[in-house]
Amino acid sequence: MNFELTEEQQLIGQSARDFAKEYLEPIAVELDHSGTFPKAAVKALAKHDFLGLLLPSEVGGAEAGFVSYVEVIENLSRYSAAVASIVNNHTIAAYTIQNWGTAEQKKQYLPGMAKGEVLGGFAIYEHGPTPGVGPDALVAIKHDEGYVLNGKKAFVRNAGEAGVYVVFATTDPALGAKALTAFIVKADTIGIKIGEKLETMGLKGCPVADITFENVVLPETALLGAVNEGAAISAKALAVVSVAEAAQTVGIGQAAVEHAAAYAKQRVQFGKPVATLQAIQTLLAEVATDCHLARLGLQNAAALIEEGKPFEVEAAMVKSFLVRLGSKMLLDTCQVEGGFGYSEFMPLPRMFRDIAGTNLLDAPGDFPEKLIAASIA
Amino acid sequence: MPKCLVCYKWTLDEQDIKIKPEDLSLDSSRAKGKISDFDRNAIEEAALLVEKNGGAVDALSYGTPTVKQSLKDCLSRGPEKAYWIADASAESADANVTANVLAAAIRKLGQYDLVLFGEGSSDQFNQQTAARVAALLGLPCLSFVQKMSVEGDVVKATRKLEDCVENVTVKTPVVVSVLSEINKPRIPSLKQVLGAAKKPNEEVKIADLGLKPEDLQPKAVRKSVKGFVMQRKNIIYKETSAAENVAKLKSSLAAEGLC
Amino acid sequence: MAGIFVFSEDSALAGQLLTPALELKKSLSQPVIALTLSEADAQKLAQLGADKVVVLQSAGKWVEGFAEAIYAQVSIAGASVLLVGGTLRGKHVASYVAAKLNAGMTTDAKALRIEGGKLQTTRVLYAGLAVCEEEVALPAVATIRPRTFLPPATAATAGTIETAAAETDTRISVDEVVSTSAEGIDITAANKLVAVGRGFRKKEDLTIAEDLGAVLKAELACTRGVAEDDHWLPIERYIGISGQTVKPELYFAVGLSGQVQHMVGCRESKVIVAVNNDERSPIFEAADYGIVGDLYEVLPLLTAALGK
Repeated sequence: MNFELTEEQQLIGQSARDFAKEYLEPIAVELDHSGTFPKAAVKALAKHDFLGLLLPSEVGGAEAGFVSYVEVIENLSRYSAAVASIVNNHTIAAYTIQNWGTAEQKKQYLPGMAKGEVLGGFAIYEHGPTPGVGPDALVAIKHDEGYVLNGKKAFVRNAGEAGVYVVFATTDPALGAKALTAFIVKADTIGIKIGEKLETMGLKGCPVADITFENVVLPETALLGAVNEGAAISAKALAVVSVAEAAQTVGIGQAAVEHAAAYAKQRVQFGKPVATLQAIQTLLAEVATDCHLARLGLQNAAALIEEGKPFEVEAAMVKSFLVRLGSKMLLDTCQVEGGFGYSEFMPLPRMFRDIAGTNLLDAPGDFPEKLIAASIA
Repeated sequence: MPKCLVCYKWTLDEQDIKIKPEDLSLDSSRAKGKISDFDRNAIEEAALLVEKNGGAVDALSYGTPTVKQSLKDCLSRGPEKAYWIADASAESADANVTANVLAAAIRKLGQYDLVLFGEGSSDQFNQQTAARVAALLGLPCLSFVQKMSVEGDVVKATRKLEDCVENVTVKTPVVVSVLSEINKPRIPSLKQVLGAAKKPNEEVKIADLGLKPEDLQPKAVRKSVKGFVMQRKNIIYKETSAAENVAKLKSSLAAEGLC
Repeated sequence: MAGIFVFSEDSALAGQLLTPALELKKSLSQPVIALTLSEADAQKLAQLGADKVVVLQSAGKWVEGFAEAIYAQVSIAGASVLLVGGTLRGKHVASYVAAKLNAGMTTDAKALRIEGGKLQTTRVLYAGLAVCEEEVALPAVATIRPRTFLPPATAATAGTIETAAAETDTRISVDEVVSTSAEGIDITAANKLVAVGRGFRKKEDLTIAEDLGAVLKAELACTRGVAEDDHWLPIERYIGISGQTVKPELYFAVGLSGQVQHMVGCRESKVIVAVNNDERSPIFEAADYGIVGDLYEVLPLLTAALGK
């Protein structure tokens, strides 16, 4: 069993780290304050091929594996988790088209997405109890030439900046989620209204908004996958992106513990650096351990994804672990830095707000422990 | 369409090297390898010249067997092919041995219009290799180059020295050493990183270079390396009153005869 | 083998090289021969103790072009040591000669002596992190940075002066030389320095440091960022690994953190004083005396106190 990344994976990770240090470190603070979409950084990401990382070379992608991808996300997240979110949400949209799209759809959308000319968004959530159910549910009614969509999608990341969305609508309100169907929708389609940008706790700079669909007409060719296959598609896609989100959590946590450790070595109290005090050592050790174990877990899940093997249980385990311990990483590192951990001119408060956004559960009904328990009991 | 060869060194990152407090010896166990900083500038310059004028860039490195770890990194930065010499002699090689080996390899590899080096390596910073190799090959040497351009077989360069800049012209073939300010090395894009795996590399065996055993014996031998530690008085005044601190400092300076 | 050769195109540096050369002469009992490109320097070097001075004459004036001629002088004499002034031009020349001699060479030796029939040198490694002792077989070459040594006292008897025709390398044509030294400031000659870093918020605030410099009779110097990024002071005042190295009696560091890349340029100062508002700053480890405080408050108070 080889726990080391391959040379290629290491080089890609290092490339992402150098990129993030060069392009993201200088803008991270300002991005968090303004929340303005970082156009220049996204352009630079495109130029360095980070937006087509998983896509095949025929469409202009870098054709790297999923392990390389999570390496990139972790390294970007060390400097700006908000930018990593932009990449994640774009990538999952491209991934979905790559895996369930027809040859024509792939040819139409993927080259632009690989080059970063068109950003992707993934519209799955709704304000109702579950996608496809409730008065605001997005419903797609079939008619002769295609579908008409009405309803609302919630918490869509990259909303307003994306050029194309992968959208999930139910074709039969009576069946609700069981009739969930995926569509590829161009952002400029008539009837699409991007709602007001949401002020979030963290990950500022990655826009989040509701999208309202008012008699949006889609041709047959907009159908992604089979009718009523949407639940399966979204479940798989969300499971895949959860592994990448775990990489965000670990990237933030790692950056935080390194910052806190450097601080603790220099901060002298009671005549010694606080790093020599047991209370501080315990806090640093727990965070470093949680990052290390979570990283191993998510790399394992990523490798399974790359090999096309079942990965959902392993991914759920990582998610379960981080839902419990993700934010603790920042609670602990802020504690190490004391007053400085609470001061906005230091990076930890921003990281604190960011990390909470990386382990939100998709839906209370589908908590990860359910899947894990089912696999053993 | 210049045919360029860039020579680079695979070094330990000096940022990772720690000083052991017991005996001031150096601990490089955690040091990661990197292409020496100034050599990255040389590789970048060669890549830029070829992007502008056509031609091709090869890379060459002489090191211990760890030099193989440098190949993908090097090839992701522009060169089309990397030649490498991995030999235990590199561990203790001084600038004389390094130059002997590189010059012999360059003679074997064929005709290049430009042979580029960084100003010095980031670990030893001897600043000798380029001029030595030029001397051995009988080629002119443009050292400490801040800016350069190539047109046909004519190279124009600006050298930056302590008190002046010199604009010079020379015909190829020529050896060049570049300053770090000549360019900003690219962060390779992912495609360049992945593409590196597909580019060729070739081992050059030291036994095939026709060198005599004494050419591989270092003339400058390292006897000891110790971490530099400042031994200072460390009398730091940190009273709450600035006026009090100032008064104390003034007394100290007076005692030292400095005011 | 016979001969301890010295060469520098820089007049002051050429004189300084004679000090270690004359020291080596004691161990090797060989004559000290100074090579020079300047008739004017020849007189001075002969008076400072060179046994012989050879003036290399050529129509070409490019210093580096004399490398082959210098090699010829050194190898014909069978020299045991060649010391070259460690300017950039000097390093180019010295490396060329070392290659032709198949000799070892120490760059920027801080100390040299003969022991066991070899040249023992001390130099810096890893951007200042470490100090290394090297043993170089003879014939050995070494470059020496300006102001590593003081020039020797005038010798009792002056050496002889000869001229020699030299062929220079004409393959490289020098089209233009543009001087870049500003105002002739030489901070390496200053006895006391006040060095400023990024703790100063704007260029106008440097007057606070200048005022301190006036009462201390100190010149102003700075870190790399202040010169190269902010352009608040000319590059000649930048002290550090790729800037100037200084050894003043007093080095007063204000608002700078004391990173190793800067300190390697001033760590041989006799007394180092620091003012910084961050008590965790590495500068305080490197200082003899210091004040933890706001420079905007401390410096004017200090200037007033010292001015009395």
